[in-house]
Amino acid sequence: MASQPPNILNAAEDAPSAPEQPVRPTPRSRLSWLRALPRLARPITQTMPWATLLAGCLAGTIILAVMAHFAGASQPPGPGTIRLAFLPAVAALAFAPRAPFRPLTQATPVPAWVAPVGHILLAAAMLTVTCWAQLRIVAHTIPPGAIVHMPAIYPLIAQLAGWCAVTVAAAACVDRSRYADLGGAIAAPVSFAGTAIVWYLPITSRFLAEPAATAHSVTITWYAIAAGALALTCVAMRDQWHRYARNLGRRGSAPTALRA
Amino acid sequence: MTSREGGPAISDADSAVASHDPAGLPAPSRAPRMRTVLALAKVEASFLVRSLLVVAGLLAGGAVVWVTIGSKEPLWWNVGWRIGAGQLVIGMAVLAAAQLAVGRARRNGMTDLYASFPATAGTRTLAHLVGLAGAAPASLLLIAAADAVVQLRGAIGAPSIAVLVGGLLLVIAAGAAGTAIGTRFPHPMAGVLGALVLFLSSGQSHLPGAAELWLYPWESFSDQLGGLPGPLAGYPPAAPHAVELAGLAALAGVVALAVTVTSTRARGGLAAAGIVAIAVICLAGAVQVRPIPTGDLNQLVNEVADPGSAQRCTTASQVRYCLYPRFGSLLPSLEAPVSEVLALLPARPAQPLTVRQVVYLSLPDSTLTHGHLNRDVSRWTARVQQAPGNATVTPATAIYLPVGNWPAAGGQLADAHFDLALATAEWAVRLPGPSGSLSGGGGMPCVPLNQAREPVAIWLAILATHPPAGELQDGLGVGTTIPAAVVRNTAIRGWDYPGVGGGYVTPPGGGPQTTAAGYLLASAMTRLPQQKVSHILADDWGKWLNWHTTDAQLAAALGIPMPSVSTLPAPANGPEAALCTT
Repeated sequence: MASQPPNILNAAEDAPSAPEQPVRPTPRSRLSWLRALPRLARPITQTMPWATLLAGCLAGTIILAVMAHFAGASQPPGPGTIRLAFLPAVAALAFAPRAPFRPLTQATPVPAWVAPVGHILLAAAMLTVTCWAQLRIVAHTIPPGAIVHMPAIYPLIAQLAGWCAVTVAAAACVDRSRYADLGGAIAAPVSFAGTAIVWYLPITSRFLAEPAATAHSVTITWYAIAAGALALTCVAMRDQWHRYARNLGRRGSAPTALRA
Repeated sequence: MTSREGGPAISDADSAVASHDPAGLPAPSRAPRMRTVLALAKVEASFLVRSLLVVAGLLAGGAVVWVTIGSKEPLWWNVGWRIGAGQLVIGMAVLAAAQLAVGRARRNGMTDLYASFPATAGTRTLAHLVGLAGAAPASLLLIAAADAVVQLRGAIGAPSIAVLVGGLLLVIAAGAAGTAIGTRFPHPMAGVLGALVLFLSSGQSHLPGAAELWLYPWESFSDQLGGLPGPLAGYPPAAPHAVELAGLAALAGVVALAVTVTSTRARGGLAAAGIVAIAVICLAGAVQVRPIPTGDLNQLVNEVADPGSAQRCTTASQVRYCLYPRFGSLLPSLEAPVSEVLALLPARPAQPLTVRQVVYLSLPDSTLTHGHLNRDVSRWTARVQQAPGNATVTPATAIYLPVGNWPAAGGQLADAHFDLALATAEWAVRLPGPSGSLSGGGGMPCVPLNQAREPVAIWLAILATHPPAGELQDGLGVGTTIPAAVVRNTAIRGWDYPGVGGGYVTPPGGGPQTTAAGYLLASAMTRLPQQKVSHILADDWGKWLNWHTTDAQLAAALGIPMPSVSTLPAPANGPEAALCTT
């Protein structure tokens, strides 16, 4: 992964007493920070935006439950309804990769991306449970013994995974921008707009939506998008600097204050 | 406002407040407080005008209006509500932006600093509410742009001010809701969730209360406005809905102020205002759920079931065009392709052609008929099911044009012209639809397999409208998109003419399934001199209309080789279509 910035504290402790001798940090494995992971579990869990995620997951699930309750037997909620109900959870996921003290964590031996990745993994587990619960709610709306043609679920799961990955990528990119304070609030609508555009544009919808595309091709395309988005996420998380694009033309001026 | 937020300092207002007290402490006074509110509101409004979220919402709202209006003829009684769907998108953005603005102080951990300012939290909240005026330009811009586009495309009817104002009020109400959310929940996720709830409320198909559809912030896709021959009073009830939205905006503002105001007297006033707002909302809601008057529904059902009683008919070139009163402007667009085909005919059928508008009305629909007796609803449903627009079989001498489907301009209008020309040509060569061949087809379009009259009809339509050759060729399809029909256990390669499936026109009898062989022969005919083809057809017109006359005979008469068509493997259990035999 990324080369680590010099650890100032360790370097100071290991520095030789004679001032004329060069500074020689103690030789250390590049992956020595892995030993700190068990100790990081607790702070990562504590700094996780649980309330936000819970609000998003519960809001969508409650909305779906209300829709399922009032939907008639002739019009049970389908994949489209699940997609809508999953939007709040995806929006909440946009707030997971935020690293509020990034300048500080970059100065520690542990890579700065460890905490956001831990948050994303925890959020992914929560979203998986949410998806399962929502699928169960929809399954309960089908009367027992009814012969209905249910569409395959795996394209839907691939699509939801793709949405999540795109949202995380957007959030990670926004976190490296001047709008970092608003990370999720920017990333969520941006990713929604992006997915809506590719969903409805005739050129792209041929590959992303049924029935124009087959279930297999929809699945493959969405997983490919997810893979690309995750790669972009990795690149954004390894980036150590905020990108103040608006200041590129104003050399010498201080960065514009963030408007939150 | 702080320097951190980049806004200008409110020096005038605050200094005015401080100047009243010799010790430099703020002395509350109504006039300076109002100046403070207005100054703060001005700054917040300018933030809202320049907000990226609002600008993005405006663009997305414009896209939504463009997509929902589509390329169809714009009917003002429908377009007004579709513009409102775009306002809903702007409202979502304004809700999120307002929530972000109000929650700014708490989110940045600057509550204590703000508390030390002369302007109280209540003053700042009031300023945020007044600053929602900054969302109005985006909303008004969308209305103006949509109106201009719709008028340029030849809008039918007149805009309803109540509907357009309702869209603006929706944006303001959404902003007020965002302000109320932000005063209690500063996290951006709260605004996102609020916007999503607003969005989900627009897809009412899975929400309770079909009869109370209009009570939701904005009804988007659950009506039949796009297919009505004219506006129907109370469907939707625009003016009461605008009042309801104004009441909701006021209530959200009251809630936002109630969270931040500490004065007992002010809270009393807010409670009274809240009660008034709730009363207005309830009153407007009660008006909205009133049933549509029976007389109006009777008239609508009459217009749908018996179009002749409401339409005005014009005869041109011995063809009757029967249109609903507001649709007279469509007549030139309809006459052109029909007249072109008629001009090419050596002889016309004995029975005259009628081109008539029809309405596809779906009943029972509780948004239309709620509050009426079941007996009346059943009667209306029975009448509407027999209406021409809902009939599966059309007369052999009539072409039906569903209301709301005729395109306004562009490539789809060219497709519609071709469809109308083809339907006219099929009437001229007596190509029947399912009505003429129901014995084997079971209502499916019959197939004029190897019948010379089919390429003749296609040739007439091509000469009348001159569609691009590439578009015609695309109708043959490739790979899995090749259209096909099964006749006598043999898969026949079909041809999808331009605009097929667009629903612009219902040809006589419902229209036959066009074949690839027929198109290819017609295409070869267009490469011959028109006079030569016309002469050969006119010499023995009766022979070419006979369903026994084959494509090969026509090709031989014209002196051209018969185009080859690749065969298709027959699907194992494909539905069998009938041969056109009349």
